Amino acid sequence: MSAATRRRLLLAIVPLFAAVVMLQARQNPVIREMRGRERTPLIGLSTEFILGPMLGLGQAVAGLLWVRADEFFHEGDYDAILPLVRMITWLDPHQLDVYITGAWHLAYNFTDSGHRSDRRYIPPAQALLREGFHNNPTVYDIAFELGWQNSDKVRNFHEAEQWFREATVRSTTDEQGRKQPPPMFTWHQLAHSLARQGLIDESIATWRHVLSLTDAQLKEARERNDPQAWSLANVRANQLHNLTLTLKRKFSRFTHEIDFVVDGKQTKSIDMQTGRPSPPNAYLATRPNEGVPIGQPRLPALAREWETAFDARVTFPEPMVMEPRGDFAMGDGARVTIRLHDYDWRPTQLEEFTFRVDQTQTIMIDQHSVRNYAWGRTIDMSRDPKMYSFTRPEYFLVFEFDPRGTSPFIQDRTGWCGEGMTDRRFLVVKRQSNPNSPPVRLIRKVFRLTRDHILNGAPVTDADIVPNADYSRIMGEVVLSPTRRAGLAP
Amino acid sequence: MVTFAIARQTVEDMLRRKILLILLIVGVCLIALGPSLGFLTPRESSAVLRSLGLAVILIAGLLITVISGIQVIPTEIERRTIYTVLSKPVQRYQFVLGKFLGGIMTVFVMIVAMGIVFLGVLFWHEKVFAPDMLKGVLMTFCQMMLLGALTIFFSTFAPPVVNFFMSFGLFIVGNLSTVTESLTENRNPVTAIMATIVHYTIPNFGNFNIQNKLIHPEIVIKNEMVFLTQNVVYAVLYSAVLLVLAILVFDKREV
Repeated sequence: MSAATRRRLLLAIVPLFAAVVMLQARQNPVIREMRGRERTPLIGLSTEFILGPMLGLGQAVAGLLWVRADEFFHEGDYDAILPLVRMITWLDPHQLDVYITGAWHLAYNFTDSGHRSDRRYIPPAQALLREGFHNNPTVYDIAFELGWQNSDKVRNFHEAEQWFREATVRSTTDEQGRKQPPPMFTWHQLAHSLARQGLIDESIATWRHVLSLTDAQLKEARERNDPQAWSLANVRANQLHNLTLTLKRKFSRFTHEIDFVVDGKQTKSIDMQTGRPSPPNAYLATRPNEGVPIGQPRLPALAREWETAFDARVTFPEPMVMEPRGDFAMGDGARVTIRLHDYDWRPTQLEEFTFRVDQTQTIMIDQHSVRNYAWGRTIDMSRDPKMYSFTRPEYFLVFEFDPRGTSPFIQDRTGWCGEGMTDRRFLVVKRQSNPNSPPVRLIRKVFRLTRDHILNGAPVTDADIVPNADYSRIMGEVVLSPTRRAGLAP
Repeated sequence: MVTFAIARQTVEDMLRRKILLILLIVGVCLIALGPSLGFLTPRESSAVLRSLGLAVILIAGLLITVISGIQVIPTEIERRTIYTVLSKPVQRYQFVLGKFLGGIMTVFVMIVAMGIVFLGVLFWHEKVFAPDMLKGVLMTFCQMMLLGALTIFFSTFAPPVVNFFMSFGLFIVGNLSTVTESLTENRNPVTAIMATIVHYTIPNFGNFNIQNKLIHPEIVIKNEMVFLTQNVVYAVLYSAVLLVLAILVFDKREV
């Protein structure tokens, strides 16, 4: 090759390479946007697993790791799953099942020997789901899961409602990759979360809305002779049942004379007292002395709040073995929540997902059912020192009944938010986080414990009782006047 | 014409190599077995199948490209067949270009074969034709073209073992383009400058990784056709740069 040709070739490299650099500069923002949502830090990832993604094989490695995680799951080795979850979500941040299953393991499957969840893992579970939601903002799945965890595990019904709302406005894809509306159960859970907050009219409106959506889908499916019409008809029947039941539960508190068809406004044709046909709208007040404005539903026969006569006592017969006992004048099946936590523990939200939890933190939550107006059983924390380290000098032991999450047959006695119950000594009326919700009335008794109580069995006395107002202030709750009857007005 | 004659001879030579055929057969078998893994994750069976298929094509393509690329010139020198070729009216640049084109055509044939099997398996499993997957196959081929040019460049001056590690190493670094790109905005100016140099000079194989988009339909690439076209042009231009460098080095080399 001549020197001149060599020079020309060398010179040709310059514009070619300039073009390469220019192209790379143009591609950078597109790639950044494409991967920008995939915010998954490298926490807890061993270096030997980095080679696959370095070769551009992230998705394949992720798929194979998920298969391995499945094996661990069936072996009951939940601890081994977590590092895999971290790796898989890093390699492929769009595997929804991995976020959802990983968060489920964290929140539900790490338990003590009494099958009580390790509550320290709930903030990481939620952070993992939020990371998944950030990486997959167009699909409903993770928003729904966040709603479910907040509803079922955290019992933060306002937060749950917000996530269920997010789920209802997002889509899903079928097996052919076509976009589809989210499943009906996202709407169902939204309606339930509203009812849990005492937002009954909003809940009813949601049931009506979802019923209309199902009607439209059902009509379309029947026109197409789609076999899915059968399952849609079942879904519709459930929705109608839930709507009718909510209407019934709402209006039953005021009168028992309503025939609860879907519109919830018609009276029964026969008055059960007189045997004569009832006039329409018989459940509405017609006289000024009925306690409610004319035209509003009448007050229930049981106008006075139910006195729960709540009490709680506790002893520590052995180190870290607690024996709580109590009284509660509520029907069988009502559940009293027992919460023992470090004095400085507060419900928190992690900014970034991490497996690492504060191993020195102690938080135990259990629920005991009421039988014959009494409750309580032994809680043995001595067999799980990793979960219950008791390294802090002081603890709060809280006995609580929250009517919002209780079973419907108990709630029918207490009211949606406790408006039908009271307690001479332990009633707390506090504002809910949703400003539209009525205040909630809880029954709560709190003790301040020391290591001496828990580890050495020092007796817990009335001197250790913490006034509810003090505990509420410490936990940042807004307490209202106990005379206020929340959510009574329909 | 001379270049194409060398290219044709290179393709014939490579297709006779058992190792490359074995890689092709293993790749095809793995793709065909893909649906059997789907039952383990029923909800994500489609994603597993797609990611596995694209990954197998990439791995097999990678091995075929590197194994063929690192040997193509050194073998000619070792066997002394290069003397016969260069003693004829064949320019050295024609020899380099012919070897590159032959290697790339071989890789193309093998990737296309695996791509057809992959689409067939997808069609059999999902009952829909998934032409989108062709974009992934095309991007894999572009990656291999760039990698092929890189191995040819290294093979003009490095022995096969050294070439293997250099090519493989640069392929790994090039796949970390998102990391190097993010480091260009590092607060430390030295890190930022180094990352900028690395990001713009090393072939960015990571540009071609669009598997996530293909597996998860909810991910949208803005101006997808422009993006893909620019990737193809990037691969062609960068390969051209490497081939010019290879020609310049090989021209001065004593054989």
